[in-house]
Amino acid sequence: MKRDQYGEPLPLDEKDIVEAMRELSGYLDVTPEDLSSLFRLAYNHALDRLSGSVTVAKVMTSEVVCIRSDQTLLEVAETMASKGVSGVPVLDDGKVVGVIAESDFLSNMGGKSGHFMEVLASCLASRPCLAAPLRVKTAAEVMSTPPVTMKPDTPLSQATETMRLKGINRAPVVDDAGRLVGIVTRADIMGLFKLSSPELCGADDR
Amino acid sequence: MNLTGYLNKMRGGASSPPRVSTREVLWSWLGSFLGIAAVALVNQHWLDGTDLVLIIGSFGATAVLIYGAIRSPLAQPRNLLGGHLLSAVVGVACSKMLGVEPWLAASAAVSVAIALMHLTKTLHPPGGATALIAVIGGPKIQALGWLYILVPVGVGVLIMLAVALVVNNLAAQRRYPEFWY
Repeated sequence: MKRDQYGEPLPLDEKDIVEAMRELSGYLDVTPEDLSSLFRLAYNHALDRLSGSVTVAKVMTSEVVCIRSDQTLLEVAETMASKGVSGVPVLDDGKVVGVIAESDFLSNMGGKSGHFMEVLASCLASRPCLAAPLRVKTAAEVMSTPPVTMKPDTPLSQATETMRLKGINRAPVVDDAGRLVGIVTRADIMGLFKLSSPELCGADDR
Repeated sequence: MNLTGYLNKMRGGASSPPRVSTREVLWSWLGSFLGIAAVALVNQHWLDGTDLVLIIGSFGATAVLIYGAIRSPLAQPRNLLGGHLLSAVVGVACSKMLGVEPWLAASAAVSVAIALMHLTKTLHPPGGATALIAVIGGPKIQALGWLYILVPVGVGVLIMLAVALVVNNLAAQRRYPEFWY
């Protein structure tokens, strides 16, 4: 990693630059250091541009598994299991009123911190079924509310920062009327960390 | 800026670019040989015994760029033609107007030429020499007056440009120019 006067370390060795200069052939009247600085600056500009222009709408999943607030936790658990999701938005009259994630189940099973290992440890200590208290509860009772939501036009950089600060793995995407239009997850965002991704390059302007 | 920071700037610290390939060296050699040969031959066979001259020192510097560093913006036709012609005008003008103070004519010619080349995006280092030669050149150059702009400068540069277009593009790995203007 090379650190130059233009801030962030550049994942480029001077050897890479010199090798690239050789490949271009012909005399380039610029020093490897200047080329490196140029690359860094251009790269930062690209990042600025892309982080501003890529919005939540571009990475969100629009077919969302969701549940109603009056559903029992048994139904919720069955739905989440069959759809293979770890969190669902909770709807009330089409509006997003909360989010239920695996951690919300766990924190109602004796694991106050919402850690699976804590619940598992209690189980291993031969206590009675920890899930029993959940049988009589509804989604509305365990969901996290108010939900942290995003708008489709929220810049991805802002969405990422919000998810980091709130410590959440997913956020429902709602329109101005509060109706669910999608869900954005950490996995969706991580899928973007390839510079060749068509979404990032703007080739796919939906 | 403090003195240490100021002095530290003089240490450099960046590295020298890599050496070019031997093939590149050979093409640079061939281009410059033919380019200067063309100008010198015309000078020798057609202009010998006349008051005209076709070859001036700044062409040697131009050869470095248009045959040896052909990717450089400084070596492109806009810079080559624009830089030489503007500098020739500035040089002759300074020689005529400031000739009584040769030091002033010389320094004004070069500095104004550089400024004008910058302003017109035609920076071509040999232009500085072209402007200077108009002032410090011998009696033959001085006798040319404004003609200096056309011969040797204009014609000489065009011949060298023609050779650059022909020879540089023969090389598979070369392309000239990068841009015309």
